[in-house]
Amino acid sequence: MTLLELHRVSKHFGGIRAVEEFSLEVQAGEIVGLIGPNGAGKSTLFNCVAGVFPPTSGEIVFQGRRIDGRKPWDLCRMGIGRTFQIVKPFASRTVLYNVTVGAFAVTSRLGEAERWALEVLRLLRLEDKADMRAANLAIADRKRLEIARALATRPRLLLLDEVMAGLRPTEVDEMVAVIRRLRESGITFFLIEHIMRAVMALSDRIAVLHFGHKIAEGAPQEIARDERVIKAYLGEDYGAA
Amino acid sequence: MNASTATATSPLRPPGSAWPSRAPLLLLLAVALAVPLFVRSATYLHILILLLLYAYLTTSWNLVGGFAGVLPLGHAAFVGIGAYTSTVLSLQYGVSPWVGMIVGGFLSTLVGVLIGLPTFKMRGAYFALATIAFAEGLRVMVENIDRLGPFLLNGPRGLQIPPLELGFGRFMFAEKEPYYYIILAMLVLAVGITWAVSRSKLGYCLAAGGEEPEAAQSLGINVARVKLVAMAISSFLTSLAGTFWAQFTLYIHPKSVMSLDISFEIAFIALIGGRGSIAGPLLGALLLRPVSDFSRIHFGDTLPGLHLVIFGGVLILVMLYQPRGLQEPLTRLYRRALARSAGMRERG
Repeated sequence: MTLLELHRVSKHFGGIRAVEEFSLEVQAGEIVGLIGPNGAGKSTLFNCVAGVFPPTSGEIVFQGRRIDGRKPWDLCRMGIGRTFQIVKPFASRTVLYNVTVGAFAVTSRLGEAERWALEVLRLLRLEDKADMRAANLAIADRKRLEIARALATRPRLLLLDEVMAGLRPTEVDEMVAVIRRLRESGITFFLIEHIMRAVMALSDRIAVLHFGHKIAEGAPQEIARDERVIKAYLGEDYGAA
Repeated sequence: MNASTATATSPLRPPGSAWPSRAPLLLLLAVALAVPLFVRSATYLHILILLLLYAYLTTSWNLVGGFAGVLPLGHAAFVGIGAYTSTVLSLQYGVSPWVGMIVGGFLSTLVGVLIGLPTFKMRGAYFALATIAFAEGLRVMVENIDRLGPFLLNGPRGLQIPPLELGFGRFMFAEKEPYYYIILAMLVLAVGITWAVSRSKLGYCLAAGGEEPEAAQSLGINVARVKLVAMAISSFLTSLAGTFWAQFTLYIHPKSVMSLDISFEIAFIALIGGRGSIAGPLLGALLLRPVSDFSRIHFGDTLPGLHLVIFGGVLILVMLYQPRGLQEPLTRLYRRALARSAGMRERG
């Protein structure tokens, strides 16, 4: 089943063409990676899908319904969760409070919301930091908190914007394990990532964005061998390796 | 030491654990209830009534200014709407001020939502300026018209309420004690509402939207709408204080019920006490109101407005050293004392 479809999505900011006629389909249960050099338009594309701003042209369809131009909070209620590249925790509040805010998307009662939030924290192995203030978390835990919060809204599709940036190698491995575990539970992922080891290991398919254009799409091994991708992004060394 | 490191233990706290944090509030309430039995001087009681009034106003303001993370500086407008609505209705149509109070409340809610619609999209100082502009505009308007349709407002001369008929139904008393208990009851109500909101979905959504609006939106929160809901509750409650003020002083004019000074004093109390907390407005009023009354009594002729200068100085110090208000160090001290006594009980 196709969960998310992007049809010739473009986003222009004045004269800047950040994303140009991008098309992609994400099947339910898949993990799809989006890679590309800095400034390629990856986050812009994510923001279009998440409703931060509407695409200039093109169609975005989620579960068979047109969603382009819808507001972020509506999209969240429809089942699209997201994290931010620059993490945005509710810093003055506890970890549990942060996740409970997300849990309130599925219930209106505080007791129930907190119970669900704790369950999500346990799933992400953050439960022993539940009472810590979000401001005091280390970066790896902040990234996890981003995911936990989005997860608490019970999304069908989770958009992850560089959740591994800034993590140490062991932390990256943990994060890969976390995402795999979540996929087992039925969540579909569309993720932007720069750490190739992780994207290659996680993704069923990868799309490559370069100056707003999709220059390749395919299984990780195909992408790793693709001439244009190597030239534009991976570099000669990666192809040789 | 950091508060979070001390509490990083069991995330599953029993539901009854909120109780000790409420104990000081209940103690405060007990003292407040007993005060008129000891304070016989009308002057002091008057000062205490104003203290409770400002604690009430600030608590009402706090729903928007504290929880929603914006800084409204035009709440005097709602005080004015409340005062004028109930007074006009009672003078011209003989409606009980209690009824007028509720009517004024709904009118303020309507106005509050109408102001909120365009302004909640503004950020920081722009929102504050917009609310000041609105409140000042309303005051200038009332000062310059004698009649609004069939309603007599009397421009800058204001309205006098002749104390013809005393009693609860007319919201008019010869002594100050009834006023004291009425405003105390209103304050308890406002604090209760704040407490309920802070533990509800609305409270969580407000806090989230105030701190990181983009993240809050991505979690399913229509930030502008929850702010409007908070504004509706806040303007309603604020308006009730206007009616109280009118019935307490029996004379209202635009300067007395709609002036910018009221809006500023509310914000001062909230910022110094600690916005976004339940205890903050109470603490702020407890500390600042006496300053403002005594400066008015002793320096009213020579240095009018001295209290605002003092508040300004205190505010700078508080913002420098306790940006989350004075409630924070006190809450921390109280928690520590509580933990220590619990530890002693375990050992003993």
